[in-house]
Amino acid sequence: MIFGRRLKNSINLFSVVSVIAGMLIIVPMLNILVELFSPASDTWRHIQTHLLRGYIVNTLLLIGFVAVFSASIGLFTAYVVTRFDFKGRRLLSWLLILPLAVPSYIAAYTYADMLSYTGTFSRALRAIGLRHGINIMTLPGAVFIFVMTLYPYVYMMVKSALEKQSASFTENARLLGASKFRSFFTIVLPLLRPALVAGTLLVVLETLNDYGVVAYFNVRVFSFAIFDAWERLGDISAAIRLSAVLMVIVFAIIFLERFLRGKRRYTLHVKNRPILRKPLVGLNRYLLPGSLWLIMLFAFFIPLFQLFYYARLTYRHVLDISFIYLVINSLTLAITATFLTILIALMIANFNRGRQSAFKRGLLKVTNLGYAIPGAVIAIAVIVFFIDIDHALYPLYRLFNPDTGRLVLTTSFAMLTFAFVLRFMAIGYNSIEAAYDKVGEKFTEAAYSLNHSKVSTLIRVDLPLIKSGLISAAIIVFIDIIKELPLTLILRPTNYDTLASRVFRYAREEMLQESAVPSLFLIAISTLLIYILTHQKKKGVRIHVRKS
Amino acid sequence: MKKMILGLSVFTMMLVLAACQLGTGDGGKSITVYSERHYDTDQLLFDMFEDETGIEVRVIDGNADQLINRLDSEGPDTQADVLIIADAGRLHRAKAMDLLQAVHSDVLNENIPANYRDADAMWFGLTKRARVLVYHPDRVDPSDLSTYEALTGPAWEGRVVTRTSTNIYNQSLMASFIEIMGEEAAKDFAAGLVDSFARTPSGNDRDQAKYVVEGGADVAIMNTYYIGRMLNSSDPFEQEVAETVGVFFPNQETTGTHVNVSAAGVTKHASNVEGAIKFIEFLSSETAQGLFSSANYEYPVNERVEMDALLKEWGAFVAQDINLSVLGEHSYRAAIIMDEVGWE
Repeated sequence: MIFGRRLKNSINLFSVVSVIAGMLIIVPMLNILVELFSPASDTWRHIQTHLLRGYIVNTLLLIGFVAVFSASIGLFTAYVVTRFDFKGRRLLSWLLILPLAVPSYIAAYTYADMLSYTGTFSRALRAIGLRHGINIMTLPGAVFIFVMTLYPYVYMMVKSALEKQSASFTENARLLGASKFRSFFTIVLPLLRPALVAGTLLVVLETLNDYGVVAYFNVRVFSFAIFDAWERLGDISAAIRLSAVLMVIVFAIIFLERFLRGKRRYTLHVKNRPILRKPLVGLNRYLLPGSLWLIMLFAFFIPLFQLFYYARLTYRHVLDISFIYLVINSLTLAITATFLTILIALMIANFNRGRQSAFKRGLLKVTNLGYAIPGAVIAIAVIVFFIDIDHALYPLYRLFNPDTGRLVLTTSFAMLTFAFVLRFMAIGYNSIEAAYDKVGEKFTEAAYSLNHSKVSTLIRVDLPLIKSGLISAAIIVFIDIIKELPLTLILRPTNYDTLASRVFRYAREEMLQESAVPSLFLIAISTLLIYILTHQKKKGVRIHVRKS
Repeated sequence: MKKMILGLSVFTMMLVLAACQLGTGDGGKSITVYSERHYDTDQLLFDMFEDETGIEVRVIDGNADQLINRLDSEGPDTQADVLIIADAGRLHRAKAMDLLQAVHSDVLNENIPANYRDADAMWFGLTKRARVLVYHPDRVDPSDLSTYEALTGPAWEGRVVTRTSTNIYNQSLMASFIEIMGEEAAKDFAAGLVDSFARTPSGNDRDQAKYVVEGGADVAIMNTYYIGRMLNSSDPFEQEVAETVGVFFPNQETTGTHVNVSAAGVTKHASNVEGAIKFIEFLSSETAQGLFSSANYEYPVNERVEMDALLKEWGAFVAQDINLSVLGEHSYRAAIIMDEVGWE
């Protein structure tokens, strides 16, 4: 009886879903990892002698600068918006997320175009007899593009952490005579650490995964190298070795963070006293809001205006009835994949709460793997995996339709959806984990002790508590999916165009002007979503916690 | 209870997704094309083919290597009937991986000259692209231009731009040099060209032309049809750039201008071979070839087709006299050489 109950306790929805998800993620990866044990090819030796050093240096430079700048900008913007009061604060507090709606590759094409000889910026300068010597198609240029389009990850996470930070810490510090700076660096900043790190890590991973920007700018980093080995040198196993090196770098970064974080925990059980926002005085009244608007200008409005200008030139021959399908396809795909990703991430996060076993930790690492592997490599793995599944299920298909082809799932929407879940699981999971971190386990444990089942606890206790974390996880995953390129291009079914694939098609043919219309649609959908989710009424789960 | 509902809903979703795909088989009424070309003109041609034959054209577009890899992993079960790729070298790769089948069609043999189709009839060129020199007439006298190789002298130091070595057109250009002059000489050429670069390569073909007009460089190595397309760009300032520059066909007295093709082949495991052949025949027909030329400024392979006025204005030119299959044979060595000489 007791044994039965124990078994029942350990086999539940969460553990089953987590283990299945873990398996589904690791099996396709095994197909890839096997390649690592094949002997090094001549191509690999060629890459080692001529190219590898450059790849490593460039990658470290790129992610180093992108991390530092986006962490600074994210922290700065979030701090100003949550701690000071000024005109336009409420508007800015959600506008600052919007650059996330602009895919990095679109920002890169747009900026490169504006600064090119025929671009608006160069022409405007020439009109007054000036010239600029800016070449954006360089490593610093790529840093600029990534920081401008990705800093909102840091901003969102730090802002939500700042909003939850109780005023009592800083107040006490100030009462005890600490200077503003000291209280910021010794109290506020250390408490923000998990949010700041999680946000920056997302930025770094997105940067490592990008291919569009680095390919166009010819910045030779790892994602570039992987495609280069595959395409130009025609050696997939060298490409996979390179992604293995990349994975090592990613794990080193994650491990370093965990190591530095040590055993510190960031769950705070204190009465949550909201911080009163201070009105800005003196020069700061203009300086701080001004700098926020400046960031918005570069990260959002400038590319947007440029795209509108081009859309005006081209909409007549680009916009047709097929656009409705593009929008519908993009939406269906993003909604389905987001829903599944968040659902599974939630199950895994639940499974991972409480006591950790080596098995759980291992599983977690595996399910987080998807984000460390470049899209194109995931695509190879997923195709091979789905073909295997289709072969296994073939007898079943024949029950439905004796004439059916073998590759049923492989030619369907399911393959792409699966790849998205695999790829973006880590983002969903990490956001949910961060939300759980903030809540702690008290309420859940209380619910369990009141004899609530795990599922009922999840739905009635945990979900309301982490709702905002869940929503932000969903926004991030959704926006990531709707703008995703390599997987969409490789894995979609026939005649299945999305907004992102249409943008890419024009951009590839060097028709930036024509790509403006689908780009704007893409940005509009993401913007709308960000607007809705930042403006939903807070239904307020009011929590009163007494100091224990 | 909720567990069950959740589990069931996920399961049904997968089932529905799968069922949507089942029963879509349709004996010979459609062909599936894996295409690297995705111009609006191509879609127009596919629609015309559908109207003419009643055979539906289903397309997946993507980059050459990804399509080839997908075709390879799908093996005998692939749905693809036709593979269209914008580089002879990559088609050769597909052929070497045993992904294509030989096709015997009198129509194709008649429409397409022998050096623009595979010797074993595995692929057929559809359009030609010439890689030429584009110069600024204020700073370069066309009589100073002669060959690709001439751009490597000290007189041209810091005056030449082209795309990166990862660009397939440059890779195939190098491959053609290996074929024509041997590996040693090709490597010397690449090293000399790198010394002539005005900047570290970046951007696309149009960016190279803009850089020339801007004054950053005097000569760009790029494909002709981009000039054609810039002349008809929706951006008036791009038109201006294209009107400013001059186009020069190099190596006319010697080995000929480098030409590449976009081409199509029937996949080895095509389920609708007949439809696939009909489709490629249609693309080599005068109607289709005319459209390639007039809307996309590519040179038609079908010699009976009237060329676009712009192409006529540029005049006839001597192309490299090689069978384009060799581009694929040398593409790997070409890539290695470019890395060795530091062509980024």
